[in-house]
Amino acid sequence: MSKALVRFPFYLIFHPFAGYWELKYEQSRKANLIVSFAILVLMAATNILSSQYSGFVVHLYNPDDMNSLMEIVYVAVPVLFWCVANWSLTTLMDGEGKFVEIFASTCFALIPMIIIRFPWIWLSNAITLQEAAFYYFSESVAVLWSLYLLFVGNMTVHQYTPAKTVGTMLLTVVAIGFLAFICLLFFSLLQQIVSFVTVIYQEISLRY
Amino acid sequence: MSMRIKHVVVLLAMAGLLGAGMGTAAARADGVPVAYNYSFWGDTVSSPAPYLPAALLNGRDLGVGPFKEPNDLFVTADGDIYVLDSGNNRIVVLDRQLQPASVIDSFVRDGHADTFANPQGIFVTDDKEVLIADTGNRRIVHLDRQLHLVKVIESPESELLPANFVFQPVRIAADKAQRLYVLAVGVFDGFMEFNADGTFTSFIGANRVRVDPVELFWKRISTREQRSRMVLFVPTEFTSLDMNEEGFIYATNGDQWGETIKKLNAHGNDILRREGYFSPRGDIRYTASAGPSRLVDIDVADSEIYSVLDAKRGRIFTYNGDGHLMYVFGGLGNKRGEFNTPVAIERLGDDFLVLDKALGEITLFQVTEYGSTLNEAVRSYYRGDEERAVELFRKAVDMNANLEFAYSGIGKALLRQGKYAEAMQYFKLSMDQRNYSKAFQLRRKEVLREYLPAVLSAAMAVTAGLLLLKKLRKMLRRKGAETLE
Repeated sequence: MSKALVRFPFYLIFHPFAGYWELKYEQSRKANLIVSFAILVLMAATNILSSQYSGFVVHLYNPDDMNSLMEIVYVAVPVLFWCVANWSLTTLMDGEGKFVEIFASTCFALIPMIIIRFPWIWLSNAITLQEAAFYYFSESVAVLWSLYLLFVGNMTVHQYTPAKTVGTMLLTVVAIGFLAFICLLFFSLLQQIVSFVTVIYQEISLRY
Repeated sequence: MSMRIKHVVVLLAMAGLLGAGMGTAAARADGVPVAYNYSFWGDTVSSPAPYLPAALLNGRDLGVGPFKEPNDLFVTADGDIYVLDSGNNRIVVLDRQLQPASVIDSFVRDGHADTFANPQGIFVTDDKEVLIADTGNRRIVHLDRQLHLVKVIESPESELLPANFVFQPVRIAADKAQRLYVLAVGVFDGFMEFNADGTFTSFIGANRVRVDPVELFWKRISTREQRSRMVLFVPTEFTSLDMNEEGFIYATNGDQWGETIKKLNAHGNDILRREGYFSPRGDIRYTASAGPSRLVDIDVADSEIYSVLDAKRGRIFTYNGDGHLMYVFGGLGNKRGEFNTPVAIERLGDDFLVLDKALGEITLFQVTEYGSTLNEAVRSYYRGDEERAVELFRKAVDMNANLEFAYSGIGKALLRQGKYAEAMQYFKLSMDQRNYSKAFQLRRKEVLREYLPAVLSAAMAVTAGLLLLKKLRKMLRRKGAETLE
């Protein structure tokens, strides 16, 4: 069982169509969730290690700006936003995917960003500026591969045509913008309310 | 009560932090003023003072009568100081000991005495011939060593110039071939270039026009009459110029954007090296309301070191040939070493003279040990004397660990000495990826050359051993099988 748990993600990234089909219809939901969260954790870990240990020729970092907790947020929040926005849209657009499936397919799509970028953290310490082209090339490959997986995942999970999938993905990005705006508004209003209450409390406590 | 005291303390601490952050001339407890520099990340970091005010010169103390709105300053190679006392229409010459040597207030032209009218710029050639931008009289006056008139350049005539052109020269420089470069009011095409005989030849090094997109849009949709009343898009004027030993013009302009310091070659192309952490333009951190530095004067020293004067905050920024900020000093204020309206700077050897227009004073800044170490280090490196440079850079770094570009200087010398691992450390400190990569490549080669044969031999031995073991086991097994049969 645990062996299959580890082997399946690798199968999926090389055979995305069959892999995502299996993910949707044959794998257990529990197994998918376990692997998905493991991928998110690994992704955050890769980002943290990358910002700390990448080679000097490809990566300059200001220790003042380095924050591991924020690195975790930078992974978790975009994934969450993507899933929520995608789910909200596809429920209106005849998508067949459930939220859990969308979440799992999104997480699985991040695998190339881990398995390509993780070794490069250490390899980048052994390259010169001329060889850095390979580094940047691999980074681009990882991103493109992940995008492709995201596309196939979305298509399979919702049982869409390719054109509709592309449209949905673009709309999802727009929806993320709306979501971010609404979140900002919400927190800003919340802050106003909190400060209002504290000020009133202060007034009363100073008076009596 | 104690609450209030605490508040005051916190406020004071905050003010102190702000002061340090803004890079104002904060003073340390021991009385040594603290200067600043910018780190790779654009933060303001403290640095020891490179220059300290040593003397204040004014006309009254010199015995030549008070200066009135002096505008320009020139120091010759042998240390004669020419102060252009514009308000009094004269030039006061001081010797190396800062004592008045002579006063030039008139010259003989066609047998009559002639005077200046509000002159704005002065330049003295290597042969001590004096060139004066006699702005009020709309001419350039060229006097020889004995102050006899050589020539007067009056309003030039050329098809390049509009018919109603009024020649108002304000700054002037001459190269070794006696060509003159003149900065004139209302000329947007760059510097005016004159031949040795005083004929106007061409313009050189025009600034570029910046077009505001919004403004452009309105211009597009307005009528010809409306357009004629709008602001014209014209390139900005230069604010000052200086010439180095090789005949390149260093110029500043009063722009709020783009490159405000330029080094122009004979074609008028900008060839200033901008390899520093930031492109040279004075302050890089400033409040939005105060705005960027407004550079009004430039002075080129030897070894491609140049300094610019920021009139907005009264600071003097000095850069090396690569464009690294070496040090900053000065400021606006009422204390010694601060100015009211600084207009001109000149180097007197390794010391600095700063001319204040409103106060009619010249402040003499003397170099500190830190400043002279840094100057000498940059010079040694420029000369190619790397051992001396490294020694001085190390000394400078000991005095100011924040001096990031100095680490690069140390690293380069170490690289040439073949100490690659050590050089890598120094390049890392100065955030110099290119040189780090160079050092790393050599270090990697060195390591590979040392260990690769051993590693490969070991790998081969292990493989051979494994193969042998496999064969042996096979043979043993076969033997076992035979015995079984």
